[in-house]
Amino acid sequence: MFHAAGGRGGPMFALQSETRKPKNVVATLGRLASYFKPYSFFLLIVAGMVIINAWTQVISPDLTGQLIDCFITPATASEFQSAPALPGVGASSVRPINCWYTTVPPNRTTAETMAGIAGLIGLMVGLYLLGAIVGGLQFYLMTWTGQHVLKRLRVEIFEHVHRLSLSFYAENEAGNVMSRITNDTDTLQQVLNFALVSVISGALLLVWIAITMMQKSLPYALISMAVVPLMIFATTWFSNQARKAFRQTRKEIGNVNANLQESIAGVREVQAFNRESANIAEFERSSAAYRDANIRAVSFTAALAPTLEALGYLAIAIVVVVGGILMLRGQDLFGTTISLGLIVTFLGYVQRFNQPIQQISVLWTNIQSAIAGSERIFELLDTPVAVTDKPGAIEMPTIRGKVELVNVSAEYKPGEPVLREVSLTAEPGQTIAIVGPTGAGKTTIINLIPRFYDVTAGAVKIDGIDVRDVTLESLRRQIGIVLQDTFLFSDTVMNNIRFGRFDATDEEVMAAAKLVHADTFIERLPKKYATVLGERGTGLSQGQRQLIAIARAALANPRILILDEATSSVDTRTERLIQQALEKLLKGRTSFVIAHRLSTIRNADQVIVIQEGQVVERGKHAELLAKGGVYHDLYLSQFRREAEAEPMAQGVMVPAK
Amino acid sequence: MQGQMMMARAQSPGRPSAGGRAPMDLTGLRRAVQYVFRYKRIAAIAYASLFISTLAQLMVPQLIQSLIDTVTNGYLANALAKLPPQVQTLAIQKLGWTTEQFKSNQTNAEALLIAAGLGVVGFALMRGLFAFSTSFNAERTSQSVAYDLRNEIFSKIQRLSFSYHDQTQTGQLMVRATDDVEKVRLFVGQGLMMALQAFILLVGTLIILLLTNFSLTLVVLPTLPIAIVLFMGFSGIAQPLFMQVQIRLSKLNTILQENLAGIKVVKAFVREASEQQKFNAAAEDLMQQQLRVSRLFSFLFPFVFLVMNLGQAAILYFGSGQIINHTLTFGEWQKFSLYLMFVFFPLGQLTMIIAQMAQASASATRIFEILDAHNDVTDKPNAIVLPPIQGHVKFENVTFRYFGSTEPVLSKVSFEARPGETMALLGATGSGKTTIINLIPRFYDVSEGRVLIDGYDVRDVKLDSLRSQIGIVLQDTTLFTGTIRDNIAFGRPEATMEQVIAAAQAAEAHDFIMSFPDGYDTRVGERGTTLSGGQKQRVAIARALLLDPRILILDDSTSNVDLQTEYRIQKALDQLMKGRTSFVIAQRISTVLNADQILVLDKGEIVARGKHEELLEESALYAEIYHSQLIGDSEMPVEVH
Repeated sequence: MFHAAGGRGGPMFALQSETRKPKNVVATLGRLASYFKPYSFFLLIVAGMVIINAWTQVISPDLTGQLIDCFITPATASEFQSAPALPGVGASSVRPINCWYTTVPPNRTTAETMAGIAGLIGLMVGLYLLGAIVGGLQFYLMTWTGQHVLKRLRVEIFEHVHRLSLSFYAENEAGNVMSRITNDTDTLQQVLNFALVSVISGALLLVWIAITMMQKSLPYALISMAVVPLMIFATTWFSNQARKAFRQTRKEIGNVNANLQESIAGVREVQAFNRESANIAEFERSSAAYRDANIRAVSFTAALAPTLEALGYLAIAIVVVVGGILMLRGQDLFGTTISLGLIVTFLGYVQRFNQPIQQISVLWTNIQSAIAGSERIFELLDTPVAVTDKPGAIEMPTIRGKVELVNVSAEYKPGEPVLREVSLTAEPGQTIAIVGPTGAGKTTIINLIPRFYDVTAGAVKIDGIDVRDVTLESLRRQIGIVLQDTFLFSDTVMNNIRFGRFDATDEEVMAAAKLVHADTFIERLPKKYATVLGERGTGLSQGQRQLIAIARAALANPRILILDEATSSVDTRTERLIQQALEKLLKGRTSFVIAHRLSTIRNADQVIVIQEGQVVERGKHAELLAKGGVYHDLYLSQFRREAEAEPMAQGVMVPAK
Repeated sequence: MQGQMMMARAQSPGRPSAGGRAPMDLTGLRRAVQYVFRYKRIAAIAYASLFISTLAQLMVPQLIQSLIDTVTNGYLANALAKLPPQVQTLAIQKLGWTTEQFKSNQTNAEALLIAAGLGVVGFALMRGLFAFSTSFNAERTSQSVAYDLRNEIFSKIQRLSFSYHDQTQTGQLMVRATDDVEKVRLFVGQGLMMALQAFILLVGTLIILLLTNFSLTLVVLPTLPIAIVLFMGFSGIAQPLFMQVQIRLSKLNTILQENLAGIKVVKAFVREASEQQKFNAAAEDLMQQQLRVSRLFSFLFPFVFLVMNLGQAAILYFGSGQIINHTLTFGEWQKFSLYLMFVFFPLGQLTMIIAQMAQASASATRIFEILDAHNDVTDKPNAIVLPPIQGHVKFENVTFRYFGSTEPVLSKVSFEARPGETMALLGATGSGKTTIINLIPRFYDVSEGRVLIDGYDVRDVKLDSLRSQIGIVLQDTTLFTGTIRDNIAFGRPEATMEQVIAAAQAAEAHDFIMSFPDGYDTRVGERGTTLSGGQKQRVAIARALLLDPRILILDDSTSNVDLQTEYRIQKALDQLMKGRTSFVIAQRISTVLNADQILVLDKGEIVARGKHEELLEESALYAEIYHSQLIGDSEMPVEVH
């Protein structure tokens, strides 16, 4: 079956994917094996089937040989009534050489011979049938098991992704984590689906055939297998070269893609500056490099299959020529008598060598990658979770809304404090505006309240209870958050708002949207509340996205509200809507606002000025402004423009310095 | 074993085919195949090699037959030689040999055998060589075709007018130039070759089989229709199953991706449990689909091989009978079982090719959609080179509507800008400001009316001569991979370093550029230094300044920059506008105060025009915009002490 082993594509595809070497194979395999434990019974069956399958492969060439040695040769020979002349078929001897299947009565009639042949072939058909059933079942059982393991792993990863605290995501970009998870599960899936069984059964088949051949005749077997080392060498060498070459093609396609992306996204500039021809010339260069890298890589894969095929035919020639000459001369090969049947049997065996070798060498690296992939998956699963419920954590009672930070210090990296000894108290219903330059620690403060991070010293208390003493779920359920970049899921508007409270009815969702004035623009969307948003959905403006986030928080109806105001500019009308919405949302709740809007600050009960992780000023807007300190400068650089844009608004005029 | 290999092959490249199962339209594919004719020589080598290697493949069983027959004949001759003479003659007759044949078989057996062995090896080598030449040259051909297609798509995209780009997304176009090209390439490079090979192999084998042993051929023939039905039915069932796998996988990945990107929201609203439920359901869905595919494979491949093996068994049985009756030799017998595989192999290949062809033709259609896209903005056949301009811009009753739309974006707009004047454009989003500035460098063509520059209709002059005299600074600045210097010299690659530095200095960009260790050679864009929004904007201003254009188009907004930067950008912009005819999408109070003319747009029409003071009194809309949208200028901010 040499031709089938070749072909383009097939295992060659495996050469194109990136391969990695695992670090600790034993530990990873052990851990992976533990996932298979619940299915060990199935695996046992699979193992049994692999063995049966290999056996049917080993036995059928042997049976073909028996067909010749026990039936055909005696039948032809007996016609010449020359019993003593034929090697091994003595008149009295009932067992010709190499014939173990049956005894041959002398002078058997043709009909008897044919009946015997029919019996033997019937046996072979039975074996083929068995092989087919076992082969199919084995494949299905293995994928069944593999898929179940994979699903469990996926779910575990996903749950862990949720448990991991925000410090993990601060260090690891979401995109990277994502591609790691998908790539690693993907390689694992391929291996679990077919590579593992293929390699195991291929190896088993190789060894079994080798042993069977050696049992029949050690020297003849060694001669027949003379090309096997060459096959292994050719396969490994060509695969390695191809893999290296394909690495280059991946690099080149990266360039092509970057080039495309940039020139298409920037096409307006390209045309404005008359750069079309130059860009086209540049693209043609990277395009050509990609073409050439591909041709080079394919020169290796294209050479592998014909090489193996040629070696396969060489093996056939060796088996027949060496065996034939010895048989003709009637010589023994170190004690083995060569019969025609033995030659045909060995012919069948060497034909079965080619494919497993190719399979193993190509898929082996896949298995390596999969082990490396599992290793990284386990690494992720082992990433410690910084923020968890402590044993005996209680349910947070219904919050009244008093929030205290008592001498709070916090750090993301040990030794680099982000907050130092920060204390503040918010009475129920108060609005606290937090201002300060980028990196001062504003975001850290609001992250501590729903306990996204833990403090390193001091305590965050809500209604007098330390947030570390209550369950995360009961705490966060009572806190609403509106982030600067509104994250929308690719789902309907309805469900995006419903994200605030899972069990809210459609009417409640719409009421929340109405409350924050998001209903006007939603009603104008093509499918209103049923419009699908996000990646593949309608694009909303920044301001509209914020309105949805505000509606989300309104639906949750929390006692404590955390708000990170957006800095990006939105059009005037939407801006006005957002301000009105926020005013409604803040009313009656304890609120912490990272403020970028002057109106928010003016209305705040307390303004907290943060600089380098410390509270440097606090008080009301007017008081702080009069003080002429840090807040005054901040105001000048950040808010004055806004103050000028609404000259009619009430407010303190800033004395020019 | 073999089954698993095929399963692996069929499962691994499980990409969804966007074309689906719709009836195939082969026009696109036929056009794509014609690209092969550009590489006649290589393609001819590939096809010739294919022909030779396939014929060689057909020869190999023949050679193996002769190899085995030499052995058995020698063996028989040896056996006969030991018989008594009368019996010997009888036996020789019975075998159908002549006395010479007998003698030769007896004495030359070893030499014949070695010769036959060498024959096999020689042929195998030749076959290998030509098989390599086939694959290699097919790859060269198809990669060259892909190269041409990619480049043609790219240059078409680069030259298509804005109205085309308004309707397409970057990602979509990228898929055309990469994935779709690759699918077409696979068909051109492999599909066609494999189809031809399969055809030669199938027909050749059947002819040889029928010629050598008619009755034995009839024995194996019935397995053929079974295999065909199986393969055809399989590809019909498998395609939609694979597509489902892809759909479910991407659903699962979407959930994962959203939960990673939106982790804070998930945690904030305590939605872990319900998201986990969602994920679990999606994972289960995917698994069930995978198992459905796996069930199909578990049945199909073992079954196909069973059918093939049954064919082998039939040959074994009937062949044995014929050998005993001396109507068949051992060698022929072996040959038959080898040829039988040559029958099944092409059948499997052909079904794969049909699936490949469906995908490739859908891709080809999409590729030619781009290549055939009508470009409305091109040089007229007799377009002239626009001489150096003064900067006089005139719109005469300009109406513009997007292709296929009846609503005009601009209707009957007329105005005139004299050389050196600054025109401020005001209006709400969608009022037509951007359209006006896009019509001047002829990014679009007007639907009615004329745009005149120094009296020339912009449609009568060559595009590059027009655009090279217009400078554009937009709010969202795209910088390209390369050095800062490359980016500033984007519109004039031949500019000297001194000119680049002068432009950067005028744009207030020189200082921050020099603060980078590599100065003007600092790489930006992908894998380079990322510039802040304000820095990008100043590079863009320098880029426009370097052209020293007579007409300038700009958006004076500054987004997300600190006060100090904003001040510097404003200074740079004022510098830029000096002495040029400028069209400004105005966001700043100072711009409208300094403008020679202000055009107030509403729903595609100019509703008011004039100077600031006049408009403030006359136009309510202007007053509203002035108060609600425009931003005061910043001065050099006070140093924080």
